[in-house]
Amino acid sequence: MMPTITIERRIRWSGILIVLGLLLQMLTLLWTHPLAFMCFLMIGCPLVAAGMLLFFYSLVSHQSP
Amino acid sequence: MHNTALILILFTAIVAVLGLLTALRPELTRARGGKVLAFLSLFILPALAMWAGTQEHLERSTSTQFCLSCHVMEDFGKSLRVDDRSYIPARHFQNNFVPRDHACFTCHTDYTMFGDYKAKWRGVHHVLVQYFGKVPKPEDIKLYTPYNNRECLHCHAGMRAYEEASSHHKSPDMLARAASNQLSCVSSNCHDIVHDVAGLKDAPMWAPKAVE
Repeated sequence: MMPTITIERRIRWSGILIVLGLLLQMLTLLWTHPLAFMCFLMIGCPLVAAGMLLFFYSLVSHQSP
Repeated sequence: MHNTALILILFTAIVAVLGLLTALRPELTRARGGKVLAFLSLFILPALAMWAGTQEHLERSTSTQFCLSCHVMEDFGKSLRVDDRSYIPARHFQNNFVPRDHACFTCHTDYTMFGDYKAKWRGVHHVLVQYFGKVPKPEDIKLYTPYNNRECLHCHAGMRAYEEASSHHKSPDMLARAASNQLSCVSSNCHDIVHDVAGLKDAPMWAPKAVE
């Protein structure tokens, strides 16, 4: 069985990645420029996607007692 | 900044706050309500924010302001404002034949399902060249493929002024050849002054009169 603390640590990291990605996405929305679009697509979206994947991984790798 | 963007920024901020709450207090997920909160704040809402943000950026990338924000495109922007009717972009821009805030995109994308995505992919390449490659001179920038008449006919096909113009009946099959792309509208000694950025240096510019 995976200790509860492990899944919570993963959820924490997942949240941090998603928050970082969302903050970056928010900043890019303040600017109309090709660089903003690329930052959104190449940094913001991968950070959010990585956070989501980590969240799902923490769910599927968690075994109920 | 328009209202949609403001709402989207606000929504993204709220999702970020919820995500932060889950990140700082992961022990909340031990309870049922916490599990629902985690699912919403770490999957559903960020996915929604990401999708909406992508749509907003795609929409913005069709704007004239976006296209002309790179230095190398400045001269192409000038060709919209040159005080000379023979310039096709100027004539279209100044007479509102194309929406001024989406002037570039109206003529420079394929009107197909994935046309705008292809254009964006090329745009990504252009940005990389802008910052990491050798930026060509404006007059050296050419289209990837010959300009497709379909982009002109998207609006002009069926227009009386287009179909009845005597210059379009110099030969009986002229319109048919234009429709099948055998005769180019912009490079057959007809409408061949397009952006012509090399000739813009000392050209007079048109300035719209301010509305009182």
